[in-house]
Amino acid sequence: MMAATLMQTDVPTPEDSDSSKKVWPGRWSHINKILDRRGPFCDKSFSPGHGEDILLNQCRVLVIGAGGLGCEILKNLALSGFKDIEVIDMDTIDVSNLNRQFLFRPADVGSPKAKVAAEFIMKRVAGVKVSYYHGKIQDKDDDYYLGFHLIICGLDSVEARRWINATLVNIAQDDPERIRVLIDGGTEGFKGQARVIIPTVTSCYECSLDMLNKQTAFPICTIANTPRLPEHCIEWASVIQWPKEREGEKMDTDDPTHIQWLYDVALKRAMEFNITGVTYSLTQGVVKNIIPAIASTNAIIAAACCNEAFKIVTTSQPYLNNYMMYIGNEGVYTYTFEHQKKDDCPVCGNQSAFLDVDKEITVEDFIELLKEKPTIQLKKPSLTTDTNEKIYWQSPPFFEQRTRPNLEKRLSELVKDSGTIIVTDSTLPISLNVTVSYV
Amino acid sequence: MNIDKKTQKYDRQLRLWQASGQAALENSKVCLINGTATGCEILKDLVLPGIGSFTVVDKKEVDGADAGISFFLDEDRIGTNRAQAVTELLQELNEDVRGFYLAEDPISLIENRLDYFLQFTIVIATDIPEKPLLKLSEALWNANIPLFIVRTIGFIGYFRIVQPEHTVVETHPDSIMDLRLDVPFPALEQYAKTFDFDSMDNMDHGHIPYVVILLKYLDQWKKDHDGKLPCTSAEKKQFKQIIESGRRNVDEENFAEALANAWRAFTATKVPHQVQEIFNDPACETLTANSSSFWILARAIRDFVANEGQGLLPLAGSVPDMKADTSTYVSLQTIYRQKAKAEIAIVRSHVNKILNSIGRTSDFIHDDEIDSFCKHAAFIQVIRYRSLKEEYISDPKKADIDRWLQDPQDNIVHYVLIRAIDKFYEANNRYPDAATFFIEGDPEEATEESKSEFELLKTYVNILLSEWQITNIPDHLDDYIHEICRAGGSELPNMASLLGGLVSQEVIKLITRQYIPLNNTSIFDGIKSASSTYIL
Repeated sequence: MMAATLMQTDVPTPEDSDSSKKVWPGRWSHINKILDRRGPFCDKSFSPGHGEDILLNQCRVLVIGAGGLGCEILKNLALSGFKDIEVIDMDTIDVSNLNRQFLFRPADVGSPKAKVAAEFIMKRVAGVKVSYYHGKIQDKDDDYYLGFHLIICGLDSVEARRWINATLVNIAQDDPERIRVLIDGGTEGFKGQARVIIPTVTSCYECSLDMLNKQTAFPICTIANTPRLPEHCIEWASVIQWPKEREGEKMDTDDPTHIQWLYDVALKRAMEFNITGVTYSLTQGVVKNIIPAIASTNAIIAAACCNEAFKIVTTSQPYLNNYMMYIGNEGVYTYTFEHQKKDDCPVCGNQSAFLDVDKEITVEDFIELLKEKPTIQLKKPSLTTDTNEKIYWQSPPFFEQRTRPNLEKRLSELVKDSGTIIVTDSTLPISLNVTVSYV
Repeated sequence: MNIDKKTQKYDRQLRLWQASGQAALENSKVCLINGTATGCEILKDLVLPGIGSFTVVDKKEVDGADAGISFFLDEDRIGTNRAQAVTELLQELNEDVRGFYLAEDPISLIENRLDYFLQFTIVIATDIPEKPLLKLSEALWNANIPLFIVRTIGFIGYFRIVQPEHTVVETHPDSIMDLRLDVPFPALEQYAKTFDFDSMDNMDHGHIPYVVILLKYLDQWKKDHDGKLPCTSAEKKQFKQIIESGRRNVDEENFAEALANAWRAFTATKVPHQVQEIFNDPACETLTANSSSFWILARAIRDFVANEGQGLLPLAGSVPDMKADTSTYVSLQTIYRQKAKAEIAIVRSHVNKILNSIGRTSDFIHDDEIDSFCKHAAFIQVIRYRSLKEEYISDPKKADIDRWLQDPQDNIVHYVLIRAIDKFYEANNRYPDAATFFIEGDPEEATEESKSEFELLKTYVNILLSEWQITNIPDHLDDYIHEICRAGGSELPNMASLLGGLVSQEVIKLITRQYIPLNNTSIFDGIKSASSTYIL
């Protein structure tokens, strides 16, 4: 019981670092050249000679994710003089992390990432305090997030990013004092992006949702009847054959015997259909949706994020407004631009989104439309009218059952033309107003 | 089948450069000159993916400032040799990589034992002044060893790749589409003819591959138009209408695919311009016993194009996914693959002929190398770099620099400053280092000393500009002179890490010979968070 509680709580520094080791002659001499001197591009509020003070004593930073980006971010912050850092991550270390997550060693495989990363940084960089939480970001409440001056995200999940973004925007709503800057980094192979989000002020993560590449989904009839690609055979093994042949057993994509089984089944099907190219590695890639990841891209994006953090906190240079895209497969290319805030953003906008829909559309099809639409992409949308009538609620089960008969009805029976629907989603703290016009 | 530990560890990168790229990395020997924070960050990002070995050359004793900014140093190592200290901590990152160090002064090594550097696959120089750099770059150039020159100062990062030539086969284009719709080969033409659209039931009709749909209607079109393809926009529109009229209902996805890909049918298959240039290159024309496999293969392909290929490159042989039933799709795939295979065999015979003529045996080039070259033939790349001597002495890009410099947003200003502080360093044996920019209310204000530091650096900037005959000196230069004086030669951990990522990425491209590397200079401005590429 005790151990479990400990896992779920913030763990502070095991011992407060020996203060005699914090500073040695010249330790901050490089950074202090910048902090002790004004430059022509500095913000007017920059005050030479006070930077170290701000970094060392007044700034608490939260790092979300202790993976490829997180390891880099923690190192950069510690070396840049940030002294009070917390890291959250729910994962444990896997052997495939070791090609880039440089705070982990083979002996750490299986241990919580947040713990190992925090301890490594404190061991290597004297005088920095890194506390950690091994768990989900959703476990934490508003007050927790308000306790930081800055939040840097190095996540590989769109869902988690949407959640933290929406949470920080909600916290900041109506009170500028509660604005907490979010710096978000992401990578995929040789590509990545770094951005600065000032909730309610700049465009937010949700504003740019339509910039995400849509995942390739294979139609179920192709998988079942007309496979052509090795991927179709692998999907057949995991989506159709697994539930059939191993009914009731949960597939664990981290279990090599499960991958092996899927590989064997997919290979057999491929051979039947004369399809080539099913390999163990491809099987793993398809069922785990593996995204290639390398040390260099993570270093670039994490450093860009931390450079922004440093500039924002010290006001020693102007900061990024607000998006840097990086592409490295053909030379070195960046595109830096201001991503525009959307008035009808479901998270930070204050206007309804307008949707033209077929006057015959059913509630069920309308929900599908909301899931598919690139600017919305909700997983489990629930609909309510602006007069507070429930159209369809995904949860709790009691409401789901009561509103289920509405799914087959035409939307126009429940919402008049130019009427507004409030769309919510249990997996995200957002609410979107959609005004429908029937055509 | 069991996946070994190494494949598991490198899984996320093998998906980018495969086993062949990994093998090249594991055989490489990388040399870092000076164990600066930036240098260590570069090595970190190379040790993690598993280069063969690294060697750090550095005589410096670690001081408090070094230990403050590098993750591969700590307080306990102050006073020890920097090469040894960083090697120990970098080595911990990957047990499969061997780390070496040489505690000698790189500059005297360049002066007295230049041959030392010729044992490496790649040399990365940080913090080396202009004169020894020129000497080192010339020796490496003559030995065909790539040199990276890397600098970070304050918020500015700079790096330059110097090597005579880089050739790439696996450039990793977004897609390799080579369908030959306008010039179908006999087997493909025959296959398309076996489809009788009208007699098909709806199920089969909805599964005709779009390639066949396009070939069928194109064949008809050519018959009606003296063998010509749709050419004007009216004709293209008309052709699409014909396809549309063959569609039985809007749900036929294969017809939607045919319409979306109709433009491919109007686009003439030909040898791309950049490949034609490679064919025309003297290195392709005159082969010797020293020619690389790239140039031998390029020549073999050229000979194929001129003869059996009848003006076309060997077929790539891959077919994209399309709506079709399994057996039709597999047959179509087989037709393309077989044709590609037959052409590869012809290319092989050209390769053997060439190898024979230059006195080499046919095992100098393996079959899989030929396969890959034929598959990527339309995307091969040759990059010829400019030497450092050309850039610095014999042929500086004066006119370009002048033009770029006039744009206040252009990053070339950082290049000018980096070159100017090299001159400053050469004369004063230190970097410009002072607060020179003040506003009212700042605790300090401009002194004689700070003004003179600004003026001194400005003198070197002006010397440089006059060497380049740039007379129109833009006002915004002053701001950057202030900024460089402020930076005082400092290395910021974030910039060191960012450059580490950029440089290691390019090193990996050169070693694996995959993806397209930078030509030749990249500058990252951490104030604006924007990079630029220049050929200097």
